Amino acid sequence: MNSATLKDPEVKTATPSPTASAAPATTMRVAIVEDDPSQAELLTHWLELAGHRCHHFDRGEALIRALDQESFDILVLDWNLPDISGVDVLKRIRASRQSGLPILFVTARNREDDVVMALRQGADDYMVKPVRRLELIARLEAIARRGKHRAEQQEILELDVYRVDCQTRTVMREDRVVELTAKDFDLSVLFLRNIGRLLSRGHIRETVWGPNAVVTSRTLDTHVSRIRNKLGLTPENGWRLAAVYRYGYRLEQLDAAVPRTPRTDER
Amino acid sequence: MTALIRGGPEDSERANVLPVLTVRVEKDLETLVNRFLARKREDLDRVRAALATRDFETIRRIGHDLKGAGEGFGFPELSAFGAALERAAIARNERALKEQLAAVEQFLSRLRVTFR
Repeated sequence: MNSATLKDPEVKTATPSPTASAAPATTMRVAIVEDDPSQAELLTHWLELAGHRCHHFDRGEALIRALDQESFDILVLDWNLPDISGVDVLKRIRASRQSGLPILFVTARNREDDVVMALRQGADDYMVKPVRRLELIARLEAIARRGKHRAEQQEILELDVYRVDCQTRTVMREDRVVELTAKDFDLSVLFLRNIGRLLSRGHIRETVWGPNAVVTSRTLDTHVSRIRNKLGLTPENGWRLAAVYRYGYRLEQLDAAVPRTPRTDER
Repeated sequence: MTALIRGGPEDSERANVLPVLTVRVEKDLETLVNRFLARKREDLDRVRAALATRDFETIRRIGHDLKGAGEGFGFPELSAFGAALERAAIARNERALKEQLAAVEQFLSRLRVTFR
């Protein structure tokens, strides 16, 4: 039970106060692979209460297919799935272009050799069900802090000739303010916080425009094109904001001396 | 609750006179908890059917899911029942499975959930 308080022998409370968890430092896009619908609903409910956005998959293969076109900040992965095991999902992700995706196992398998195997195969953390709400959220956020998302905690980003102040929502390039719309600012911050990371169109849309906004691909491309021009994210400046065919975009910082050849999967 | 989890015949008789077990749950979980308990009641029918055909794998999976989810919804007893069902299914112990099934049914029949 989640920090249950036994009021009397036959009356008890089931959950800690929702106010017990602090607001997250940053909203994460979380993929949950869980075949038990009740468990999936509960995890989604807890994580959304904590300010994160969840996408549920009830099969391992469904997630693997989705990763061809989608990116997530973190994956919550069950072990026992009806089609392939969670460990197989883990191995396939680690061998894919999304190999850096942070993964938290949440499973009822509690044997030590299971925990060790999952961690050695590349899981970032492991929790045994039943999980406690605040602990789950804390562990997810800890994984995110340890990983590549550390930049998301920062209010001021200084990269190359850019200085981004997230409080005043301004971007400076070589000490000159770049005029950006609100959406262009959010888009710029998203890319600058995720240098080298492939972000899906769905991920970009959801992060910049929100989960329910209807944004066409053309609109997204227009915004990307605009920030590419305004910020000078081009190879001659040592940057490339590359479109990846049928997937999304990746901001790369190039070696200034060696212009890079586009990959075959990029347009 | 330990007596219920053990679930022997004497415990079952004693449970018949036990009072209603009231559990208070946060209001924001009302829909999820009601749906969870409805699913678990359906699962009992599936366990009963699987027992009749000695389909231990189905019972093991149902027990495994119950073990993982029960406590998160505020019902640690259901997690304990789930673990016991899973163990009995792995051991193909029909007597233990019938006892556990009766114990879960009894628990759910005594259960009253209030939301605040």
